[in-house]
Amino acid sequence: MLKAILKEPLVHFLALGLIVFAVYHVLNRSNQPKPDKIVVTQARIEQLSGLFTKTWQRPPTAAELKGLIDDYVKEEILYREALALGLDIDDTVIRRRMRQKMEFLSDAVIDLLTPADEDLQNYLNANPSKFGKAPQIAFEQVFLNPDSRGDRIEEDAASILEALNSHAPGNATTLGDATLLPYELGATSATRISRTFGPQFAKAVDLLAPGAWTGPIKSTFGMHLVRVNKREPGRIPALSEVRHAVKREWTQEQRKKLEDKHFAELLKRYKVSIERQPNAAAEPEASQ
Amino acid sequence: MRHILMALTICVLAPTPSIVLAQDHLPDKAGVAATLGKKEYSPYVGREFPTRVLWGDTHLHTMVSVDAGTMNRLGQEDAFRFARGEEVTTTHGLRAKLSRPLDFLVVSDHAEMYGLMPQLLKGDPEIVSTDPGKRWYKELTSGDSDKIFATAMEIVASLSKKEPPIKSDNAVKHAWKAYTALADKYNEPGRFTALIGYEWTAIGGYNLHRNVIFRGDASVANQTVPFSQFDSQNPEDLWSALAELEEKTGAEVLTIPHNGNLSNGRMFKVETFDGRPLTKEIASLRARFEPLAEATQIKGDSETHPLLSPNDEFADYETWDRSNLDGTELKKPEMLQWEYARSALKTGLMLEQKLGVNPFKFGMVGSTDSHTSLAAVEEENFFGKHSGVEPEPDRWKHIVIAAPDSKLNVMGWQQAASGYAAVWATENTREAIFDAMKRKETYATTGPRMTVRFFGGWEFTDDDTNSRLPAGVGYAKGVPMGGDLSGDAQGKTPSFLVAAMKDPYSGNLDRIQIIKGWLDSNGELQEKVYDVVWSDDRKPGSDGKLPPVGNTVDVENAVWSNSIGSPELIGVWRDPDFDPSERAFYYARVIEVPTPRWTAYEAMRFGVDMADEVPMTTTERAYTSPIWYTPKG
Repeated sequence: MLKAILKEPLVHFLALGLIVFAVYHVLNRSNQPKPDKIVVTQARIEQLSGLFTKTWQRPPTAAELKGLIDDYVKEEILYREALALGLDIDDTVIRRRMRQKMEFLSDAVIDLLTPADEDLQNYLNANPSKFGKAPQIAFEQVFLNPDSRGDRIEEDAASILEALNSHAPGNATTLGDATLLPYELGATSATRISRTFGPQFAKAVDLLAPGAWTGPIKSTFGMHLVRVNKREPGRIPALSEVRHAVKREWTQEQRKKLEDKHFAELLKRYKVSIERQPNAAAEPEASQ
Repeated sequence: MRHILMALTICVLAPTPSIVLAQDHLPDKAGVAATLGKKEYSPYVGREFPTRVLWGDTHLHTMVSVDAGTMNRLGQEDAFRFARGEEVTTTHGLRAKLSRPLDFLVVSDHAEMYGLMPQLLKGDPEIVSTDPGKRWYKELTSGDSDKIFATAMEIVASLSKKEPPIKSDNAVKHAWKAYTALADKYNEPGRFTALIGYEWTAIGGYNLHRNVIFRGDASVANQTVPFSQFDSQNPEDLWSALAELEEKTGAEVLTIPHNGNLSNGRMFKVETFDGRPLTKEIASLRARFEPLAEATQIKGDSETHPLLSPNDEFADYETWDRSNLDGTELKKPEMLQWEYARSALKTGLMLEQKLGVNPFKFGMVGSTDSHTSLAAVEEENFFGKHSGVEPEPDRWKHIVIAAPDSKLNVMGWQQAASGYAAVWATENTREAIFDAMKRKETYATTGPRMTVRFFGGWEFTDDDTNSRLPAGVGYAKGVPMGGDLSGDAQGKTPSFLVAAMKDPYSGNLDRIQIIKGWLDSNGELQEKVYDVVWSDDRKPGSDGKLPPVGNTVDVENAVWSNSIGSPELIGVWRDPDFDPSERAFYYARVIEVPTPRWTAYEAMRFGVDMADEVPMTTTERAYTSPIWYTPKG
């Protein structure tokens, strides 16, 4: 798109015209009697000298310092002239640099923010899903391996289930097949159960009431008889339990908010119109 | 000034670490046996061994790394958030999230000119006032992607020079402190561990790189700054400097080498860095600091090579063997034996016989070495080696590494979507994970999160495979992966209990193998792969080889079926060729059934046709740390 515009002869012609106009303007201006003023302050000189010292690990000599100052003056003049020519307007480097400078302004502000307890408590209350302890399930499971049991698996499951529900506890650790899956899990969230047993199993266990052995429940590994021992409802922890995380997330959000707000303020000062041509509209999406 | 201000602010805001955790003490054999022997209702009461494997990446770069920073706009905070399971927006504007969070992460940005990239891109006057700084800044912000890639490659090359092109000790110190504070901020014991680390990146072209990992928090890590290759290109100097650091500050550190496959014969050689015969002192130093090696990652797999293991049909996995890292030196076959993990473990036996110390007594981890800030190496969720090869239709034919001779360029499709580190730690804390790494109770996978247990002892019986708690039996009767069997064999044969459970989100298991390496009585190094337990009732053929498990991958639709393979395998194996006078090591390798490779997902997702040479299926695997047998006396 941009390349196509750059190839356009009309654009070349206009650009050339602009340059001629600008150069004429500058030449004209430099004939004016009253020159622009450049003041090299003592502070500036110290900065130049300091930068040199840092790079070379020694202070500049008198000649070097004069060189630095002359170079600074030259840079300042050329910089002003370049601004006058409008050379900054379409320069990617300058644009990005300026944008970053603006973004750093808000970064610096964020670094200085210290939330009050109340801010953190409010943030915690407003984001229960972020910090809340999810509902927890504690359960035991007896595993049946489909590889070794084959077609008998349903039948075996039924008889083991009966044994589990009728006999004294303790059998559960000897019944069923060998597995690396944990036999017993303490209070564990459904997400965590899913990471070990897979999502299908986690969903099914989430629906079980505590008490008796039930099943079989299928997982990606095979079949399971399950007894839910305890269910703990989800809760929002006290701030003291999660202060570290809340503060981190709060800061992260403040940064985002501040950036957005700042930008929204700026946006108000502009009227933006996007002149997309109808048949060019699909182009950017195609590369996604 | 602003940087100083910022660093100060971060220091003030950083919470003081208040949790002091006991070092994890693993019970001895007798302790576990006693626990199991108790007549408790539940044998699980009071068990102290690691019960849940923790998953992580020990090797990840962000924009703070001088090379990654040329193309990647995501910082260390994004890296932590992504690894914890949160959604982030990539450099290219895509939304990215892991299928499941990781349990731990080491953001290991390059030590060389640490933090220079973000400051360069911010136009920091101290940095842009240097000649290379000025030019790089201009080119990196030019918006021309060819120019940016060329500059990135130039910056990578500059890492191999003796002098840093840009030197700013202050910038490094500030960036390091900002990082350690951030790691403390994201470290949540029990939920997510942010281990502090960096990568020492010596001799770029020959990849002697090491990741340096700290056990402690920012207050420990801030007593030093990253040791860089500008301090020394010699790994022996790195270990010496770390030994001095440990002595002076009480810090505890370990180092993990990676990409032996790209070192052109240098990573595990039998000489010192400058070519003298290895001494006992240097071997001890290496053994002390390098308990682990990174055996698999995006830049290829380093377990073994088909030329080194001609009888191993699984040896040729994601092999990168045409040259060294930057394509400046062709690979010669005689280099391979000093590059790959299995071969190095063998060399270690020989060196131990000679020196009395085994410098290559290491366990295994996998990691990503991604430079995108995203520890994303799931086949269907692979964000690439660096930001030049993040997901887009043509990335399979983009250049990953540009060599001087374009024939040696590494192309996008050659990237391996690999790997992760699995750690059997007693809890999810910096201390417990670090200690588990020190005792090598770890394994590597090429991406999937299969659970693998591996124990060696003298008394395992077939009946142990029926245990409802294999780990309980394992710890009671033997040593876990990373452990040692000592030489009082007395007519007994070592036996191994090995068990693996598939990743519920990935393929079934084809087989578990045990790989033995040994030094025979003639002083020759040997290796052999044994199939221990497998799926689908297969019978080994007349050549002793187990027939392949089959292949259900539908490449066009990037799907497979778990109709072959097993979700879980467990077996006991006794070494049929055991000779009590021969040094040996044993490690387990778990092989998955074939599944779609990332290229298949990508071809399907973007509707692109890739060249015939591009592999479309993969057989993912896990490598455990070895168990060593050493004869008595």
